[in-house]
Amino acid sequence: MAGVRVARKQATRDRVLSAARDLFVEVGYEAATIRMIAQRASVATGSVFTTFPSKLEILKRVMEERLDRLYAELDSIMPHLRGSVADRLCSIMAVHYDFEMKRPRLYTAYLAANFEWTDGPAFLTFGSNPRLRDMLRKILARGIETGEVRPDADLDIFMDVVLSCYGMNYRCAVQKGFDTADLIAMMDRQINVAIRGVAAS
Amino acid sequence: MNHVPAHKFSDDARPLTRRAMAKLRTRQALLQAGKQLFTERGYEDATVRDIARAAGMSTGAVFANFSDKADLFAEILSDDYEALASAMREIAVEDRPVRDALAAILEAGYAFHLEQLPLLQAANSVSWSHTAKDEERRRAGLRQVLSIVEAVLRRGVETKQLAAKTDVELTADLIWQAYRSNFRLAVFDGYDEGALVRRTERQLDLILNAVKVG
Repeated sequence: MAGVRVARKQATRDRVLSAARDLFVEVGYEAATIRMIAQRASVATGSVFTTFPSKLEILKRVMEERLDRLYAELDSIMPHLRGSVADRLCSIMAVHYDFEMKRPRLYTAYLAANFEWTDGPAFLTFGSNPRLRDMLRKILARGIETGEVRPDADLDIFMDVVLSCYGMNYRCAVQKGFDTADLIAMMDRQINVAIRGVAAS
Repeated sequence: MNHVPAHKFSDDARPLTRRAMAKLRTRQALLQAGKQLFTERGYEDATVRDIARAAGMSTGAVFANFSDKADLFAEILSDDYEALASAMREIAVEDRPVRDALAAILEAGYAFHLEQLPLLQAANSVSWSHTAKDEERRRAGLRQVLSIVEAVLRRGVETKQLAAKTDVELTADLIWQAYRSNFRLAVFDGYDEGALVRRTERQLDLILNAVKVG
């Protein structure tokens, strides 16, 4: 019996998350209410509340589940990357833009929520994603081996700079109507300057 | 932070009438109350009614002076940008190496915002869903501050501290994005001003190394 209950709970959870994701994309995070999410998922409003403590928590889970797909994609790409350290970094970030710009409203809702203070630091703040940092670090470490990157380069700080730009660039999508190609071009320029800060002379 | 931008007075050289004075005082009181409540509660939870009450006025007084809550909020932020820009400008004119000048400018930014961090968070959060008009005002404020960073970089190029081919705008962009993102460390990881400044200095060193001479 317990097994059935667990399975049913999981099914509710999945339905709520998928309904929430669609609603966040269609009407935006702010406008989507718990009641609307419940209706869309065909579950009682009460069971949304018993499954997730808050709407912010739902957004957080939606984002995390998406990231699993993104990183599966990146893991399969990593061995095929070619070119300079900068080229490789640009490719990794371009995959991110391609992925997130399929649902820009969802991602910008997430970025906005990153700065919400009333809900506390419940979030994995963007730029501190350990999987992404790991990936960039591997590329940079390889760059040190091949003599492209200075051995004493401040890699954490380099990633700070690149990832800050990465996140903030989405503003241009929201406010200036940049499309995926524009964002990728912008990131490429930023990476190509920043890389000189860690390049072996 | 009761800074009143000079332009609010300077568009009229004649002494203000009593009525105009009263209107200005009302505006100032609303701006001050709004700033306090936005700082205490965040943007969504600070209502127009509460702001009016805190200023000792009616809700109608808010709408007589501002088109809506977003307008009031944008005005508060643009006053802040002006105050910060004038503090940064004073630092920028001092004669010192580019790296030190930039570090001092960013340090002033951290000092300014750390005193009222929740306001900055509210501003950041709201900015992702701004109306075009509010966004234009925010960008005008940002432009002022960013142009100070660019001016210092340009001076660095002229004095041959930085490479002649330096893309000043792009470099300022990198510095600014890193500077802004660091506020997350203050919000979520408890960084104080000193820790933020040390972080931003390491970022500055890296970015300036990318545009150094030779």
